[in-house]
Amino acid sequence: MIDTLTRRSFLAGAAAAAATLTAACAGSSSDGSARINRAYDPAYFTADEWAFIVAAVDRLIPASEEGPGGIQSGVAEFIDRQMESPYGYGAFAYMSGPFLTDLPPSLGYQLRYTPREMYRSGIAAADAAAHRSYSARFSDLAIDRQDEFLRSLETGAITLEGPPAEAFFEQLLRNTKEGYFADPMYGGNRHMGAWKMIGFPGARADFTDWMDQQGRHYPYGPVSVNGSKDR
Amino acid sequence: MKVRRLLLIGIATAATPVLSLIAAAPLLDRTAGEKQIAAVPVNADLVSRGEYLAKIGDCAACHTLAGQPPFSGGLRMKLPIGAIYTPNITPDRYQGIGTFSMADFDRALRFGVSRGHSLYPAMPFPSYASTRAEDVEALYAYFMHGVEPAAVPNREAAIVFPLSMRWPLTYWRLAFAPEPKPIAAVPSGDPLIATGAYLVEGLGHCGECHTPRNYAFKVRAQTSSEGPLFLSGARVESWFAPSLRSGGPGSLARWSEDEIATFLSTGSNHSGIAFGSMGDVISNSTQHLVRSDALAVATYLKTLTDDGGGSRVYDKATDQALRRGDASAPGALGYLDNCAACHRPDGRGYAGVFPALAGNPAVETTDPLSLISIVLSGSTTTRTSATPAQFHMPSFAWRLSDSEVADILSFARTSWGNKASVVAESEVRQQRLELARPESTSNN
Amino acid sequence: MATRKKKVDAVIVGYGWTGAIMAKTLTDAGLSVVALERGPARDTSRDFEYPRVADELRYGVRGELWQPLAKETVTIRHGVGDVAVPYRKYGSFVLGNGVGGAGVHWNGQLWRASPEDLRLRSHYEERYGKAFIPDEMTIQDYPVSFEELEPHFDHFEKVCGVSGTAGNLRGVIKTGGNPFEGPRSDDFPSPALPPVYAAQLFDKAAAQMGYSPFPQPAANSSRAYTNPYGVRMGPCNMCGYCELFGCFMYSKASPQTTIHPILRDRAQLEVRTGAHVTRILRDNTGTIATGVLYIDESGHEVEQPADIVVLCAFQMHNVRLLLLSGIGEPYDPSTGNGVVGKNYAYQMCSLTNAFFDEDVNINPFIGAGAAGLRVVDDFNSDHFDHSDQGFVGGSLIFAGGTGGRPIEQMMLPPGAPAWGVGWKSAARKHYLHTAPVGTQGSVMSYRDSYLSLDPTYRDSYGHPLLRITFDWHDNEYRMAAFSSQRAEEIVRAMEPETYSTFLMKPGDHYDVRIYQSTHTTGGAIMGKSRFDSVINRYSQSWDVPNLFVMGASAFPQNMGYNPTGLVAALAYFASDQIRTAYLRSPGRLVDA
Repeated sequence: MIDTLTRRSFLAGAAAAAATLTAACAGSSSDGSARINRAYDPAYFTADEWAFIVAAVDRLIPASEEGPGGIQSGVAEFIDRQMESPYGYGAFAYMSGPFLTDLPPSLGYQLRYTPREMYRSGIAAADAAAHRSYSARFSDLAIDRQDEFLRSLETGAITLEGPPAEAFFEQLLRNTKEGYFADPMYGGNRHMGAWKMIGFPGARADFTDWMDQQGRHYPYGPVSVNGSKDR
Repeated sequence: MKVRRLLLIGIATAATPVLSLIAAAPLLDRTAGEKQIAAVPVNADLVSRGEYLAKIGDCAACHTLAGQPPFSGGLRMKLPIGAIYTPNITPDRYQGIGTFSMADFDRALRFGVSRGHSLYPAMPFPSYASTRAEDVEALYAYFMHGVEPAAVPNREAAIVFPLSMRWPLTYWRLAFAPEPKPIAAVPSGDPLIATGAYLVEGLGHCGECHTPRNYAFKVRAQTSSEGPLFLSGARVESWFAPSLRSGGPGSLARWSEDEIATFLSTGSNHSGIAFGSMGDVISNSTQHLVRSDALAVATYLKTLTDDGGGSRVYDKATDQALRRGDASAPGALGYLDNCAACHRPDGRGYAGVFPALAGNPAVETTDPLSLISIVLSGSTTTRTSATPAQFHMPSFAWRLSDSEVADILSFARTSWGNKASVVAESEVRQQRLELARPESTSNN
Repeated sequence: MATRKKKVDAVIVGYGWTGAIMAKTLTDAGLSVVALERGPARDTSRDFEYPRVADELRYGVRGELWQPLAKETVTIRHGVGDVAVPYRKYGSFVLGNGVGGAGVHWNGQLWRASPEDLRLRSHYEERYGKAFIPDEMTIQDYPVSFEELEPHFDHFEKVCGVSGTAGNLRGVIKTGGNPFEGPRSDDFPSPALPPVYAAQLFDKAAAQMGYSPFPQPAANSSRAYTNPYGVRMGPCNMCGYCELFGCFMYSKASPQTTIHPILRDRAQLEVRTGAHVTRILRDNTGTIATGVLYIDESGHEVEQPADIVVLCAFQMHNVRLLLLSGIGEPYDPSTGNGVVGKNYAYQMCSLTNAFFDEDVNINPFIGAGAAGLRVVDDFNSDHFDHSDQGFVGGSLIFAGGTGGRPIEQMMLPPGAPAWGVGWKSAARKHYLHTAPVGTQGSVMSYRDSYLSLDPTYRDSYGHPLLRITFDWHDNEYRMAAFSSQRAEEIVRAMEPETYSTFLMKPGDHYDVRIYQSTHTTGGAIMGKSRFDSVINRYSQSWDVPNLFVMGASAFPQNMGYNPTGLVAALAYFASDQIRTAYLRSPGRLVDA
């Protein structure tokens, strides 16, 4: 991971890298075997796009005392892997035209971007906009600038030369939260850290003993579909 | 020169007995059985009785292939020396047994000789040996008049010479198969038990799976009078067919006659659900037992008692711990993560849907092979006319390591009042390798 | 050139709930039946296996069990004269697919109708006067009564092993049940499951306020149960993966868990999957259906001739097939003429989330689709006096939650940030301690809410998509506001720290992005005459007597209750008539 970052973005993305290192140490599983947080080589995102994704995810879900951050949880890897799945190619949406885009938002998504295209166009446009506003691309900005920039994407205060800012932000935030909370088999939610934070039992899917003792604290940690491999 | 001649003489001398045996075998086979049996008038009732008896004997299990005409044979049976294919026993005159006389039919069924040679004891003629004459007649009537002739040719055995020689079977038969004769009267004289004994020791051929065998593949006890090894449980392929006796661990001690009868009729009762090959036995064979015969079998089985085992009492402590949040016992968390949804934290399962583990004799067997196979391969419940819905346990081989399987099974075998031995990781590893072999036969 | 198959007595289009009901009942009568399902085969053992099925991303978000919108969707517009655009991504409703259809991944909320729901116009006119019903509201009576359907409601509940507590048993009001329900001839087949904690709090609060909370009738069987067909079902363990998922416990009633096991050996039934029906075929008089045309898995056109055609393809697709086949006069909102597509309706819902202190363990992950929920029916149907309210209809108010899946079911208080450290904090703080209280309300039918074929957008075979013209009306805003106020009163009595409400207000358009309900109704409605309906009381087409149309397309307007119970009852009612009167003498069962 560190090798692929330029020196500049290493400094700027120190938080991300630190979080990754922390995750590498935290990656040891409870049964004692050393589990190194292997460096993930993105299959879809280019190096520049990856820098954006990593920086953005790190701000959308930062590491904190309360629980793991998005980077530490593998959310960036999740998003990249989703781009290589049918979902990424738009297989789950009706993508025939014509695309009428000046209709009320309540009639739903009408853009022609598949998720892959949304990120490809959106990241380039966002970095270009960051350059215009701050003379640096997003991942090189200081943390509070990054937050400010993300907020302006969220509200559409910025106009992008590409997809509408709100649509791009919505895609990014949605996939980030999916990656944070989905089963670890998809690359995110490493070691079920997000589930542990909120108290969700994951794939246990059995509450026989709790049907007649409702309202009590549920004492068991989560389990994933793949079982103890994700502990 | 001399040495060579001595060698030849030596070989001839040594070979003579063997050659004599080989020479004698066909004669011994041809003279087996009754010379003639008088034909009986055939009527619909006789054919119908024959049909019922064929279900009890489960002839279809080996002689009917899915998608093929009934009883036209062709099932591949794997032997250590190769494979054999079951023959066509429809009344087709050329490919089946259409030219068999009653004596020919009886010879095959009870004596294990057919078309002049001894049969592999894959055909359970040692069990069928005690079939009464009138039942042989009924079976003959059914196979001649109640089954559609099907011109499906028999397949040659896939056994390489010299292993394909059949004469050893003659001597096996003479040495190990019981003499065909009616079974002994039961000590109590109770007709229900007598019927049960007749069905279990005879056409039901339960011992062929549930009784352990010796080095020569002979069951170590053919009838209840031959001692406590009869129906005491045995390994069959990937399964351990449990003991059908009452007394020891993993026995039927806690099942009443009614529960045994229900199990035979529907494939399940309050504490157990059939698995492995027994599922087929129930759907093809025992579900068709009339109620009185099912009870007769059950009543007879309950007379097979042994000491020991002790009484079992359900122990709430296991479930109470889990309800409290205590999954510290080895295998407990694994049980919660994998098994509890269906089998319940209290181990009681759901009758007719997911088997209980608490007090289930199949869980407490001395040999845990079945449990390991079920966890690794999964299992599907039996479909009978009374139970059209089937329930499926998935395979957990992909999710659990050998040590996890061992821990969870050990947990199940020692919880809720169950008192069986723990399972070792090595046993799981061995069975996982066995199941992965291409020729391995598991039932799923 | 289509391949022509051998003719059968009946062809069923779509193999979900009504498809299975019709397949079972028609083969009972000895008919030869082909069931055509365009989606894949689905079976519990293979497709809903534990633990793999407990995967929110795959089933709850990406929707692997749902109809692939990429192949076919609907278009939606708010007003007549607007341009309709495709429903490109899932939001407002979910469309089923495959054997079992949405019957596989529904919540199992199984209701009847209130007696007055089936004669809505007459009832309101009698009680409140003709003027009470606005002109634009095109509500109608069903041509069949609660009493006639009661044995079929009862039968389907038994087939599904529904767990619940009777409220009106043969006219006697029972405590603990729904005192407003129409009289039932028999109790529920299995007892209600205990309430989840949120429902317990709701229960207490609602009872304190003088309402009559009761267990939501649940097609999540509470104990191992054998239904009247001899099919055994498993018990619910409140796994929290109910709606959108197939049930691994064999507990949620679905065609697979209740009917298919006895159909397996029926030689007269053939099920073909991957069979996409494109048209109902008719003879040259246009009055007799001769079968259907479909595209098989390899893309070939196939004709399946049959003496009877039964549409079981779900409300939307039934209407679309009628329109694509040119059967019946399409509804024209400008003239009010025509019937096919008329009276489309939906469900008007609101949601109040109650946020509790960290020592209140709501544990939202303990949940089932219906079991464990509690309902107040006091403000549904005409269970209360509408005189001063100024709206028609009402809502169920229910609490309990069906699960706590973190991607889609996480509810945070207003003011919680959408991302960042603050969002994480809020998620950690509130996830275990939040209880939803919802209202699910009726939607009346209107002149300008209808279905038609889209002029522009097509499916992957090149056929026009179905177009929905729909938006909220004043009546529904008023009804929802009233229902939501009642819900909030109960929530306040539950004493949370805070609560927040999602409610549609006048000016808020129908928003297709947010999941509301899959209870889309109407378009092939049932009525007393060919001039105001598409089918008669036996679900028989007025135009083509050997064509029957099942599903909620029959509803002339939508009620507060979930539709499945009524849909199934109408199917059984129709099937009875087909097997007796129709087979004896094929032709019109009701004078037009």
